[in-house]
Amino acid sequence: MKPFSKKKSLETTNEFNQVIVGNSLTKDAWRRLKKNKMAVLSVIIVSIYILLAALAPILPIYPYDEIILDHQHLKPSFTKSSGELLLEKRMADLFTQAWRQGRLELTPEEDDMLWAWIDKSEANKVWEYMFQRGSEMVEAGAYTFSSAEQRNLDNLAKKLKTDLQITVNRVWHTVEETGEKENVEKLPVDQIVALYAHMIGSTVEIEQEQYMREIAQQRLKIIQTQNAEMSAEDHQLLLATEMDTMSEREKDRLVKENVMAKIKTRAKEIANTDLKAAAGDESATFPLNKEIAIQDTLSADIKATKMHDRRYYLGTDHQGRDMLSRIIYGGQVSIAIGFIGTITSVFIGIILGSLAGYLGGKVDYFIMRVVDIMYGLPYMLLVIIAMAIFGRNILNLFFALAIISWLTISRMVRGQIMSLKNQEFIEAARSMGAPTWRIIFRHLVPNSLSVIIVFSTLRIPSFIMTESFLSFLGLGVQAPYASWGSLVGDAVGGMTLYPWKLFFPAATMTIFLFAMNFLGDGLRDAFDPQSKNQL
Amino acid sequence: MTKYIIRRLLGIIPTLLVIITISFFIVRVAPGGPFDGERALPEVVKRNIEAKYHMNDPLIVQYGRYMFDVLRGDLGPSYRYKDHDVNFYIFQSLPNSMILGVIAISISILFGITSGMLAAVRQNTWVDYLSMALAVIGISVPLFVIGPVLQYIFAMKLQWLPTSGWFTAGGGIKTIILPALTLAFADFATIARLTRSSMLETLRSDYIRTAKAKGMKSSAIIFKHSMKGAMLPIVSYLGPAFAGIITGSVVVEQVFRIPGLGKFFVQSSFNRDYTLIVGVVIVYSVILVIMNFIVDIVYSLLDPRITYK
Repeated sequence: MKPFSKKKSLETTNEFNQVIVGNSLTKDAWRRLKKNKMAVLSVIIVSIYILLAALAPILPIYPYDEIILDHQHLKPSFTKSSGELLLEKRMADLFTQAWRQGRLELTPEEDDMLWAWIDKSEANKVWEYMFQRGSEMVEAGAYTFSSAEQRNLDNLAKKLKTDLQITVNRVWHTVEETGEKENVEKLPVDQIVALYAHMIGSTVEIEQEQYMREIAQQRLKIIQTQNAEMSAEDHQLLLATEMDTMSEREKDRLVKENVMAKIKTRAKEIANTDLKAAAGDESATFPLNKEIAIQDTLSADIKATKMHDRRYYLGTDHQGRDMLSRIIYGGQVSIAIGFIGTITSVFIGIILGSLAGYLGGKVDYFIMRVVDIMYGLPYMLLVIIAMAIFGRNILNLFFALAIISWLTISRMVRGQIMSLKNQEFIEAARSMGAPTWRIIFRHLVPNSLSVIIVFSTLRIPSFIMTESFLSFLGLGVQAPYASWGSLVGDAVGGMTLYPWKLFFPAATMTIFLFAMNFLGDGLRDAFDPQSKNQL
Repeated sequence: MTKYIIRRLLGIIPTLLVIITISFFIVRVAPGGPFDGERALPEVVKRNIEAKYHMNDPLIVQYGRYMFDVLRGDLGPSYRYKDHDVNFYIFQSLPNSMILGVIAISISILFGITSGMLAAVRQNTWVDYLSMALAVIGISVPLFVIGPVLQYIFAMKLQWLPTSGWFTAGGGIKTIILPALTLAFADFATIARLTRSSMLETLRSDYIRTAKAKGMKSSAIIFKHSMKGAMLPIVSYLGPAFAGIITGSVVVEQVFRIPGLGKFFVQSSFNRDYTLIVGVVIVYSVILVIMNFIVDIVYSLLDPRITYK
């Protein structure tokens, strides 16, 4: 195939002098794939997913790990902001309370229905119904809130309006003599400390000492969580060695981080008090970018948004994190592990499989016995053990999966190579004195590539499933990171009350897996039309 | 035939040895010794404990002892639970998992073969499309999505079945239905697809055409002639199917809170109870190896074309 396809001069013509154009296998396969509607649709879906996952950092979505405790378990809504949802929730609460106390009267049928829901512990339905019905009654004048309740609601409404979220983008220092502004973050550490010390009316020495103490405390916390099984004395010992061996630069970096955090907190406090009133009487429009003065020479660029103006199209989770961005970032993790893992395992499989297939004899026997034995192992359980022992992080997960998943591909490559290695073109290469590695990787592997591609495509969904399976059990990706599996795992507990937490990640994942499976099937049919109607 | 069986039996030995060896070294390599508690033990106590569990012997002696113990069926003491040893906990929870697994695999074989055959016989009708759609769902949707969704629909919305529990814990026989269905789904899907494709292939073969030409009843053709040939790939799939059931039961037991081996396994992997995890893996591996062995024998009995050397 390969040696001939490149030469244009071999153009052949038929008896009517028409040029016969030979199609390569890939070209042919591509033509067949394009005819398969499901496969094309799958290609589009998969591309959208990959694009979303890759562009996640620049998409206009909320950070996936930003915890807003006020926004726990908000239901998905396109039309209402989180503030409105919160107010609704409170009103529904008050209506329900009033109903249970007999102050708000409904028809007996409605009572029965509500009680039935309460028995099934479907609080959401009760709230929804009570809010709807209660608002109607209030509008019609059939029910009025008590003065205490009204006050409560007014206070909440005011709070929801004035709660601000402030991010500090940059802190500036104005040099008094020249009036020039310089970015504080870019200044040397000593100068930042001096500025901060001046700001709170302390001295540089006191501050320096204070920071080292704080840094030590932070490190100690990290050491304690990382080495939970060690004793307190050991923790102290570890800390002491770590602090001793820490380089000056590292220390400076930590000090700088600490001080900057403090300056920013101060800026946020000032901005908050300044802007709260403006938010309340709506004299300013939000989101708002502004420069505010912290102290004589210090100022900060801040961005203030109304916290409860946020909209959660897919709802929030138990810590008030946006489900939409968690699903997108979770997809990033899942898809990345699926693709990189598959590539790694295919790589290992190709090398071992082609060695076994081409060299044969003892090498073949050895590699295939290893494969046989590993096939007999309940490998999923071994992965779980590995995760339990070596720590649950993405890297370990990835290695554990790659190590066990090269078996099938190596068997397949071996078979392919064995059927190819006695063909003439290999004979030719060998007689021309090509070294073994060249025969394997330049002649044999490229010629079995179609099989490998098809197999890899079908491999990706199973890789993603395995990753999600582990994350579901809590053994894979750890919070604050997310993967589709861990999102589903988190949702299972509160399924009745917060069905969106289960539904959206599950649906996202299912659609992707469907698409990948259809794509794999499509590719297989395209490369090997006879395989149609087979598994 | 006997020779073949003996050879296969001998082939099992290296697999088991590898499993036990991996298990042993995992426990030894694992960070954090079994008796490191919150507070450091005095040196003497530590030495005594180590002597009791023979942990100060040379590694090779420890390995030999471990191998001997495991082959005798003793999986050692649990690192976390002081009351009983690993064997006790495993044999307490194993029956539950076995019941679930057997029911699930029976369901998947029964329904998988039925719907696969229907799909093949009535190719390109709604029966075909429906069963293949189900099969695609079963292959694409992971267990841990199917489980909660079934739970949501049948237990919470319709309230036909209990959400979780187990009959030995007083939950009634209904508690088995949802977990077994969930666990059966993935294998059902693969078996259905396999049956359909191999049935289609056999139905096109010459001997079926001959049978048809002779005027045989179509039911006889399907059940007597084609089924036997079509069953071969399904039998060979049963090995991986058992492995899938074992892995799947870990999730299903977690979702439906079944006091089985899988749930225990996940729990002890969080507790870092290494001997217990390793014990569970050894038990599962032995089951898997035996199942694979049986499948191989059945396969060679079914297919007269295979010769045993």
